[in-house]
Amino acid sequence: MTNRLEDVLENSGMAVDIVPVEGELNVGPQHPGSGHMRILVKLNGDIIEDVDLDVGYVHRAVEKLGENRNYMHLIPLVERPAILDSIHMNLGYVMAVEKIINVDVPERAQYLRSFAAEVNRIASHLYGLGILGIFLGHSTAFMWGFGDREVWVHILEMLTGARVTNSYIIPGGVRRDLTPAIIEETKKAITYMRKKLEDWKKIFLYNPTIRARLENVGVMTKEKAIEWGAVGPNLRASGVYYDVRKIEPYAAYPKLDFEIPVYKEGDGYARTMVRFEEVEQSLRMLEQIIKEIPEGNILSDRFFKQIPPTRLKKWWEGYRRIVLPGYYASFRPPKGEAVTRVEAARGELLYYLVSDGSAKPYRLRMVTPSYRLINVMRNLAKGSRFADLVSIYGSLDYFPPEADR
Amino acid sequence: MDILGLLRFYILYPSFFVTVIFPGLVFTLLLLLVTIWFERKAAARVQMRIGPYYASKRLGGILQLVADAVKFVFSEIIIPNEVNPTLYALAPVLMVIASFLPIAVIPLSVIPPSGSVFSIYFKDFYDPDINAGVIAGLFVNYNLLLVLAIESVYPIFVVLLAWSTNNRFAVVGAVRETYLSVSYDVILLMSTLAMALEYHTLDIAKIVSYGIPGIVANPLAAFLFFVAMLMGSSRFPFDISEAETELVIGPYTEYSGFLFVLTMAGSYVGNFIYALVFADVFLWGWYPLSGFPGLVLTVLKAVIVLFFATFMRSVYARYRVDQALRGSWKYLLPLAFASLILGMVVGYVWIR
Repeated sequence: MTNRLEDVLENSGMAVDIVPVEGELNVGPQHPGSGHMRILVKLNGDIIEDVDLDVGYVHRAVEKLGENRNYMHLIPLVERPAILDSIHMNLGYVMAVEKIINVDVPERAQYLRSFAAEVNRIASHLYGLGILGIFLGHSTAFMWGFGDREVWVHILEMLTGARVTNSYIIPGGVRRDLTPAIIEETKKAITYMRKKLEDWKKIFLYNPTIRARLENVGVMTKEKAIEWGAVGPNLRASGVYYDVRKIEPYAAYPKLDFEIPVYKEGDGYARTMVRFEEVEQSLRMLEQIIKEIPEGNILSDRFFKQIPPTRLKKWWEGYRRIVLPGYYASFRPPKGEAVTRVEAARGELLYYLVSDGSAKPYRLRMVTPSYRLINVMRNLAKGSRFADLVSIYGSLDYFPPEADR
Repeated sequence: MDILGLLRFYILYPSFFVTVIFPGLVFTLLLLLVTIWFERKAAARVQMRIGPYYASKRLGGILQLVADAVKFVFSEIIIPNEVNPTLYALAPVLMVIASFLPIAVIPLSVIPPSGSVFSIYFKDFYDPDINAGVIAGLFVNYNLLLVLAIESVYPIFVVLLAWSTNNRFAVVGAVRETYLSVSYDVILLMSTLAMALEYHTLDIAKIVSYGIPGIVANPLAAFLFFVAMLMGSSRFPFDISEAETELVIGPYTEYSGFLFVLTMAGSYVGNFIYALVFADVFLWGWYPLSGFPGLVLTVLKAVIVLFFATFMRSVYARYRVDQALRGSWKYLLPLAFASLILGMVVGYVWIR
């Protein structure tokens, strides 16, 4: 048809020259929609021909620094790449250390780890939804995301003493115990969040503009998702039932009753829906944890015994806090290596730790979920419209510092 | 006539009063500040924030906008190396002029033969169609058409502005604006044409004085006009040419200081002009009143429409440019035809 139309136009002397409009746009790193990286976009008209994610703008050499610090000093460092998801970053690393020094973690500490992880997951998902909202121009979702996140950050602050970089989990247990005040606050927060999620659905999920921007945008089929190595909510939105909490349970997850939301559409809307439902599941888990958490110690006996009795009396009995025993100062674990996986808010987080018997790790390797999304985002952006770049970016919940490490 | 009376005569002379004082330059400048203040305050209310507050706690932070304006006026205007400085500085000025000019021809109220401060100008602004004077900068019989014709020049200056700044984001934004302007202008014109057919006139004053508000006579056209107004003045959900996370600020990316204020003002002023037309044609304008109170009433209605349009920011995200184009050609254009037919039918049956 088009050929014939062109012929007609040409014969009548009204031929139209279609000039391909090609060019490059240099989006970022100082751009409202780029995050901490540069995105080189090759455009043909409004269609993206190729995207080059120039990552590394916030690279901090965490892996190399890891070889020059002792094991305890690494805890605050490994959190830094994703400060909004620091509990998970912390948890994965500490689990690897525990595997090497071979220590058991008390039941109560396991529950507390899950508690902190789920609170952090909610906070992180709300952050991601807020960023997605502002990428699509929805400033209300942005402010709500950050406002509602504050509720959960506050709980983390009560529990751990810090808002974001918590350093809460230590080899053998956790640093602080759950107090009745925190339980009370969490119950209030759960009620508030349930109510607020309804409002979220009304203004964000069912908003026609949001649906138009996310549905059928950045579609990733099941095969492609596996091939490109997507993880976490993005993988589950493409119809793959894969969650480390179920496949290889850690902390208190074997004892908790929760479901893994899986969508088969694979588009941006499905990814957003998965995050929403994960928040709901996390609320369910928090309720269970509050109800079922066993009494007991929060640090392995092996380390607990080393705390001097006077300090134990003051801090543990007075404030329910652990004072780090001298062992941690610069312990030398036996030779060995460990691989751990945790389900961080953005997906599977892998740690590979090698110990050569000295006080510092021989090698620390961390494969963060955002790192795996670089390839996914690049592939998804090809062939989409320029305006969809931010929509794909936001719906993947890609977090550049986490990818750069 | 004494000197005060002479002064009063010239100040209240509609051509001067309407274009310079109320709702002209002076009022529009104030309105701009109040609108942005309202936009921020209303969005803050929805978004669990407080919004501007500390600059003047008792006034709800409205002085923050004055402070912002002062800061913008005195900040350095950076002119990039590779641009033509004359065009670069002139483009935003021309754009604001183009968006502001139609205020001269919009009838904003009627002048009764006696009893109003404007009654002395009755003969000079006499409109034979409604047998009364009209408060407008310049009375033209075909003012409905003229307003839209002048306002539709505005996108051309946006393109000029983007072109003269020589920035890729600006050019992409200008191209988006061009695409959109083609589609919203059609809808804008067709919905007003429907009203013109319905009331058998192209004179806004006659439409208002007919006694039936346009939104009752043709709700379809009112809806279309409102949507096209949102598109035309880059309000959400059609904040497409300025899309912040995609194009920084679209055509205005390179501007700073006072020139940036002008570029921002352009879309707000354009929105205000459309809101004035909307208030006149669809919301009954000055209707039960006349003279100066009528003028205030019209402007008040327009301000409410403007506030409503800015409030959209806290409800909607932005559409993609192809979605907005498809929406306007595929759904709004047939609706515009429907509103034309509705206008013809109602004009034939009810409004004679």
